[in-house]
Amino acid sequence: MFILVIIFIGLINFISAPGETSYCCERLTKNDDARGAPGAWCQNAPEKQCHANYRKVPTSCEATSYCKLGTCYNSNEGTCMENTPQKVCELNKGIWKEGAPDSIPQCQLGCCLIGEQAAFVTLTRCRSLAGVYGLEINYRTDIQSEVECIMSASPDVKGACVIDNGIERTCKFATKKECQDIRGSPAPGESTGGFFGGLFGGGDQESQGSLETNIEFHEGFLCSDENLSTNCARTKKTTCVEGRDEVYFVDSCGNLANIYDASKVNDPNYWKEIYSKAESCSLSDQPQLSPTDDAITGYTIVQSREKCGNCDYYSGSTCKSAKSGDNPTYGNNICKDLGCEYEGHKYRHGETWCADSRGKSEIIVNESGEIQNSEFNPEQENIPGSRYFRMVCYNNEISVEPCAEFRNEVCIESEVGKGTDKFKTAACRVNMWQDCVAQDNKDDCVNTDKRDCQWIDSGEKDNGDTDRRENKVCVPKYAPGFNFWEEGTDAESLCGLASTTCQVKYEKKLGDSWECVDNCECLKKGTGQGAKGGWETDKINLCKSLGDCGWKDNYLGNDGFNKQFDGLTGKSWTK
Amino acid sequence: MNKEEDKSGQVTMFIIVGVIIIALAVLIYAFYPQIKSTLGFESKNPSEFIQSCLEDEIKNTVGELSLRGGSLEPDFYYLYNNEKVEYLCYTNEDYKTCVMQQPMLKEHIEEEIENQISGKATECFNSMKESYANRGYAVNLRTGKMKVELLPKKVVANFDYSMTLTKGSAENYEKFRVVLNNNLYELVSIATSILNWEAHYGDAETTTYMNYYHDLKVEKLKQSDGTKIYILSDRDSKDKFQFATRSVAWPAGFGG
Repeated sequence: MFILVIIFIGLINFISAPGETSYCCERLTKNDDARGAPGAWCQNAPEKQCHANYRKVPTSCEATSYCKLGTCYNSNEGTCMENTPQKVCELNKGIWKEGAPDSIPQCQLGCCLIGEQAAFVTLTRCRSLAGVYGLEINYRTDIQSEVECIMSASPDVKGACVIDNGIERTCKFATKKECQDIRGSPAPGESTGGFFGGLFGGGDQESQGSLETNIEFHEGFLCSDENLSTNCARTKKTTCVEGRDEVYFVDSCGNLANIYDASKVNDPNYWKEIYSKAESCSLSDQPQLSPTDDAITGYTIVQSREKCGNCDYYSGSTCKSAKSGDNPTYGNNICKDLGCEYEGHKYRHGETWCADSRGKSEIIVNESGEIQNSEFNPEQENIPGSRYFRMVCYNNEISVEPCAEFRNEVCIESEVGKGTDKFKTAACRVNMWQDCVAQDNKDDCVNTDKRDCQWIDSGEKDNGDTDRRENKVCVPKYAPGFNFWEEGTDAESLCGLASTTCQVKYEKKLGDSWECVDNCECLKKGTGQGAKGGWETDKINLCKSLGDCGWKDNYLGNDGFNKQFDGLTGKSWTK
Repeated sequence: MNKEEDKSGQVTMFIIVGVIIIALAVLIYAFYPQIKSTLGFESKNPSEFIQSCLEDEIKNTVGELSLRGGSLEPDFYYLYNNEKVEYLCYTNEDYKTCVMQQPMLKEHIEEEIENQISGKATECFNSMKESYANRGYAVNLRTGKMKVELLPKKVVANFDYSMTLTKGSAENYEKFRVVLNNNLYELVSIATSILNWEAHYGDAETTTYMNYYHDLKVEKLKQSDGTKIYILSDRDSKDKFQFATRSVAWPAGFGG
């Protein structure tokens, strides 16, 4: 096996040291036509791939002035694009700066609070967004994470903006500023206390009046509050609001009220003040459950989606128009379940899982982050043509994300929760098979932080020490794929690592009998499932584990080029 | 006898006249828009005229370049579903992060739309001038600059043109604006963020974006040569933007 490691190292060196000099091509050609349409900018490639009308030097692009990579700053939008060549940036009228965005003052991020929204962007970007939306900004550099920034976005407090023009007393549910904007800023000396200001007292209500129209703002109150005596009454209608998940009641003036709760359609208190999301009804995943009242808080704690509009995108529901089959108790909107159904299985919104594609291994990660299963069958798993796929369920739709071709990525899956609360997450992650063969001890071989390898029987002489390199070999756990059907690839040399010859020596004894005297272990047949322990089986497994090597069915179940190898009968699988 | 013949002749005439009237009515009904336009009694004001004349052109242009990574005729592309999808970040080497190819994407798209619709815009303004002239107006059209902007939820073409219509009194129209409702601004902003992830880490996680933006669908389709096609779409409006990248590609074997 020592020879195998030497060949492997030689193979890597051969691959990483190609004979052709690499040039930094300012632009590549397309279809090797040096004077045709140009291709990608700033690539290291052989000279013949460089476009004739652009610069080229026999060095790495990083060492050139025109293709040096840095950050391209867009002074209009305030965006910073990294890994951009100087030439490309300047050609597009950007400002090029050396280094990564972290090191450039204009690219420093902060929390941009605009209206009810928040974005973790540069100051220029924040100003640009504010200009686009016509709003004022609050840019906070003390917030240094995106999550913290988004959490800090707080909507302006709203309330009932009562408008009394002497003939009609109506109301608009608005922020204090919006309410002020209805009449403009109060004139000096103008009365600030209306009739309702006196009635409710405190700082929540303010009014601005004139002889014609009296406007009052009642913070935290709804327009349907009976005490405000407006023409806005409670209704049984509901609505969805752009940018929000919940179903809301609306009053007779079309103003938003609290989150839809069928049990409170006629409750004057629920139509009086604003109830927060946490104070509103809780949506149950099980529609058959009937409402239950919490004796302590008085709030309904679990309700079906027909009766409760407290939808939550992250929990898998959002407000949508009711379709046939949906029967909201009131109104025409409902919390729509965003989950998906696939092959008879129900998946929750946001769940991701590994597709059950042909010829792949099932890789399950336990709660401590370790791969649960370690035994893989090289006959049926990671066979030619097989590929890993990740499935994604979002918004009632399933999308399929292929992992990298040639099994350079595998799909790993884990599950949290129990029973109906199960939630799967999956990811395509790199298959770290490349340096398996170079490992000469078990600890390095099975170090899952560094590589995806397995320590298997090599088929060599068994001298009793099972962990010795002579008896074991380190091979990829998830055999990679090769493009063996193409000319000039390394598939043959990689598979060739497993080629071996065992010369068995016989001596003629008295009579006509022959007795094996040397390398007799090569004749040893394995026992048990897969004939483990036999020289021939071990060698075949070693070969198959290296990649798309040896005799294998492909993922569709079709035979390979040759018949199955039988070392003992001398049938060869070579062409 | 003669009286009877006269009567039957009159009936025949009535029938013929009736048939002609019905035929005319059918023809007018069928060709009303053209007749209306030819006779020059369209009720559209100049802004509406330009909006209706250019909107489809902008819509088609936006639709086409959205499927091609932001360029109508991409220089460097991956052929995906018979569509030339432009590489916005690319490396020809394996294991390495990509080099940005289109760092000012929004501005590039605005320029592409401008170039594509400028011919049609001239046609539309000339057609409007002719239409008003046919209706007896003295038309004075002063041309100026055109600027296309991607804005939240819309694409806007601003024309720094002015037009004076005189027929007795004079009416002055300044700065024409054509608006197309489209989410390209939002999709391009997401694409910009994905490109930075690709250039920095070599990959981008699709679910992160779908968690932040509830109506957004992000698909990532890895191709056999290491190319990734990203398809961003708005679940409600169905607006779409797709582009290609190649970053930290893993070859078959060691790539030798």
